[in-house]
Amino acid sequence: MIALASLDWRAAARSPRVLIGAVLALAVVGCALLAPWIAPHDPEDQNLVASLLPPFWVEGADPAYLLGTDGLGRCVLSRLLYGARVAVYVAVTASIGAMLIGGTLAHLAGYFGGRVDWLIGRAVDVWMSFPPVVLSLILMVALGVGVNNVVLAIVLVDWTRFCRVLRSEVVVVMHRDYIAAARLVGFSHLQVIVRELLPATAPLLVTLLSLEMGIAVVVEAILSFVGMSVEANVPAWGVMIADARTTMYQTAWNIVLPILAVFVTVLGFNLLGDGLRRTLDPRLARGA
Amino acid sequence: MLLAVSVLLFVVLRLIPVDPLALSVSPNATVEEIEKIRHEMGFDRPIVAQYWLWLKGALRFDFGRSIYHRESVASLIARTLPASIELAALAILVATVLGLAGGLTLFHVRGTRKEPVLDVASIAILSLPEFLWGLFFILLFGVHWALLPFTGRLSPEYSMPAARTGFLLLDTLLAGRPDMFADAMLHMILPALALGVGFSPAIMRVLRSSLQDVYAEDYIRQARLRGIGEVQILLRHAAKNAILPALTLMGVQFGFLFGGTLLIELIYSYPGMGNMMVEAVRNADLPVIQAVGLVYCIAVLSINGLVDAAYSMLNPKLRPR
Repeated sequence: MIALASLDWRAAARSPRVLIGAVLALAVVGCALLAPWIAPHDPEDQNLVASLLPPFWVEGADPAYLLGTDGLGRCVLSRLLYGARVAVYVAVTASIGAMLIGGTLAHLAGYFGGRVDWLIGRAVDVWMSFPPVVLSLILMVALGVGVNNVVLAIVLVDWTRFCRVLRSEVVVVMHRDYIAAARLVGFSHLQVIVRELLPATAPLLVTLLSLEMGIAVVVEAILSFVGMSVEANVPAWGVMIADARTTMYQTAWNIVLPILAVFVTVLGFNLLGDGLRRTLDPRLARGA
Repeated sequence: MLLAVSVLLFVVLRLIPVDPLALSVSPNATVEEIEKIRHEMGFDRPIVAQYWLWLKGALRFDFGRSIYHRESVASLIARTLPASIELAALAILVATVLGLAGGLTLFHVRGTRKEPVLDVASIAILSLPEFLWGLFFILLFGVHWALLPFTGRLSPEYSMPAARTGFLLLDTLLAGRPDMFADAMLHMILPALALGVGFSPAIMRVLRSSLQDVYAEDYIRQARLRGIGEVQILLRHAAKNAILPALTLMGVQFGFLFGGTLLIELIYSYPGMGNMMVEAVRNADLPVIQAVGLVYCIAVLSINGLVDAAYSMLNPKLRPR
């Protein structure tokens, strides 16, 4: 917490990237939180008489279904809003989980070096030799479907992203004099890591967290597209995309809209991450 | 390394709650019959013994039989792997060309008003994962304009040529059928483009930043003072040093790219290893999942190895004296 408070948030808030990214991300989070109140229909309600309606700006639309309906006559807008709940839930929990595991191991590896570093480094190597998509699919086979299993699978796959990048940062910081000074003053290992190392690595940590949220949204979309993510009755963006493929020749909107939803969400997190990296890292801050 | 990977795979897959036998026995088999099959397939032994049995087989390229296809896993892989390699190779080509061109452009506009615009554009490209690019291209070029085919590897009027190498592009040429080669090529444009485009922005961004680092060095200023032209400086002085960090990242990216073939193959109904993997996952076909997972790892490790080799070739500091 001290580490987070010490970051230069005011500088970050002046960066257009951070602002745009934060607005996009917050808009999606807002949709997710408010979905039960703002969604015009139940996302699972079928209206077979009114299937494959176009969105409101296209001729032949029904004003009751602002973004049209899918092949089973379900309201696309409501499904998008409820799909945001899955996306945001997975993005937040999975990225925090991956950060806790990857970040902790990175600090341990970088701080203690030697055998600890070797062991953690080899573990990362083994993990990284799986393409992430393949590993998460295999994990989902083992875990079974369900949104919390998706979170677990993403954490188990993506902790390496944090670990690898943060470890090299920790190694760099370890060479600084103030770390040696802290040890000489008699700080315990834990005190050095939390009070001296963490403030130095926090900018990178926050950046990676934001980027990981985007990655988590993509992985969830991939898994639900393949049918290995949420239970069948939960609307998720990947499920919508997969459903819409069957009606691709009649209407493109059904597939374009959830793709746009994924795109906007990931773009928001990526812009936020990139902007934070430029403004929070003192070495890059000049050029931001 | 591979040993550790295979142990991890084995343990994860044996934790699966589904019974791998459920698919392979007839519904009215008696308990004794099921136990007999279980014993034949080795599923009744302790996990360490099972792993040992599997490892002994794997070293002889015997990965057991697919429960779903009732065919040896090795021959399934032999049929589908070349298709995936072909797709990945083309995609790597696309990603490299786009990445280098984009990286140079991003670097070229540094300090101008165009920079933030192009920079955000590259983040935007990065924000659409490759499988969504794939769907997008299908909608645009396949359905809307109907320019390019987007299912399978060949049009239905052609039958597959004799598999001499397994690589369709080579096989069609060896069979002396340029028309078939062109058809196969057309089928690969969209999947390779989707996969390549999805992976190019990362290369662009690293190349840009490593060019920026190199241009801050004294020897570039020195070259400029000697009156050498900007193009010469870029090509002969800067590019060689700037390409190294980009190459390291490309190694990691190409590993991811090979994993990306999985979804692209699924979307384009392309009969490669990825499609087989997804099918195996849906059918809980353990021997296939296990072997294909391992092949993916071998592919990633060998790509990384190749990149390491290229790296030491380009970096004189790492050359043995």
